Amino acid sequence: MLDNGKINGRQLMVLIYLYSIGTTVLVIPSGLASVAKQDAWIGGIVGVIIGMALVLLYTALWRVYPGKTFVGICQEALGKGVGTVLSLIYVFYSFIGAATVLFYVSNFFLIHFLPHTPVMFTSSLFALVVVMGSRMGLETIARTSELMLPWFIILFVVLVTTLTPQIDSQKLLPVFESGGKSVFWAGITFSGTAYMPIVFLFSIFPRVQEGLTGKVRLGLFASALAGGLSVVLVTLLCILILGPQITARSMFPSYALVKKISIGHFIQRIEVLLAGLWFITTYMKTTYYYYSWVTSLSEILKLKNYRTLTLPCAMLMVVFSLIVYPNVVYMQHWDTIVFPPYIIVMAVVIPLALWLIGLLKGSKDLSATRK
Amino acid sequence: MWVVAGIVGIAGLCTVIEYSSLKNFKKDLWVFGIAMAAATAISIAKALNVTIPNPLDWIAAWFEPLGRSMKRMFD
Repeated sequence: MLDNGKINGRQLMVLIYLYSIGTTVLVIPSGLASVAKQDAWIGGIVGVIIGMALVLLYTALWRVYPGKTFVGICQEALGKGVGTVLSLIYVFYSFIGAATVLFYVSNFFLIHFLPHTPVMFTSSLFALVVVMGSRMGLETIARTSELMLPWFIILFVVLVTTLTPQIDSQKLLPVFESGGKSVFWAGITFSGTAYMPIVFLFSIFPRVQEGLTGKVRLGLFASALAGGLSVVLVTLLCILILGPQITARSMFPSYALVKKISIGHFIQRIEVLLAGLWFITTYMKTTYYYYSWVTSLSEILKLKNYRTLTLPCAMLMVVFSLIVYPNVVYMQHWDTIVFPPYIIVMAVVIPLALWLIGLLKGSKDLSATRK
Repeated sequence: MWVVAGIVGIAGLCTVIEYSSLKNFKKDLWVFGIAMAAATAISIAKALNVTIPNPLDWIAAWFEPLGRSMKRMFD
């Protein structure tokens, strides 16, 4: 575990923003629309509210265990043995995360850009870039995300402004037809994809130069909110332009949406340019899953340098990205049925328990010193 | 056969890249060797169409009943 790179609060904001958009913007509009129909955007807003509560939980956990990675937190709260087992479960989870996100990316390439290229090559090439970034260290990835942010914002603004002429507000009606339960469930799936993976960023929180100051905490909330609202905006556009049925049915509804751009029958089919949006965000998401996986594993094994594991882990990631989802039907079943309870246990229940343990221990220490 | 040769070639290349920085750290070298061997073995197995257990199935075995009841509750 040797990465002396430090990042500052602003870089943390940028990467939380891109990370929470991540693959969410690519896949979640379809999931939301299949649960909540035309109320998908309300589900998204509920998800953002849940997400704010999650960020509150993570900052609280960060404050109780300052300067510790997730592995360190587990070991301090539960002791050496149990803590190591729990952190191994997290390593497994980030491994799954990296492999599944890589599958999403290569599947997106396969369907829309490179239908005749074997999927192994697209995923290996993408993994190569991810590994290069991770080997250069956290500072490099953080600066890359800062460099990519303006491009992301330009593309996002182009997307929103060029699509507004086609909005058909009739498609939103009747509002709140699907009822509270469906909207809440949609909110949970939204925050499960957008916000709960922030638990992996505990591998980089200790590298934030300022620590958890008020400003950093405010930045975390602001960027998480901005990321969530960007996705809600894209979902809303999907519903307003494609309608709930087509949104629910398509694999990558936001890409289908961008194909609709047509300004005076002259500027059209610019979706490949706008696909830069998804390349940027999915790159960030894959990189941080992967980085968290490799650094946590090397911290458990007490290696001198996490770079030792980067190349073998990259090979594993590529191979398992071909294995994890044998087909799209399996993917949809797993993502809608198995994923929500799994991620709720991993990213809500366990951090909450760790936080309570930390709080109890802290108060015990305090009373011990008082005596 | 070519795929297997390619995988072994990539693994060899990775080892060449890492060896110079690792040769002074015994433990790191061992961990790298074991991880690389495992990764190569799994890749070759996948290339030869051996069925590799899917880790998502293990997670599904634990969480699928819970997920079903959650979905029923909210539908």
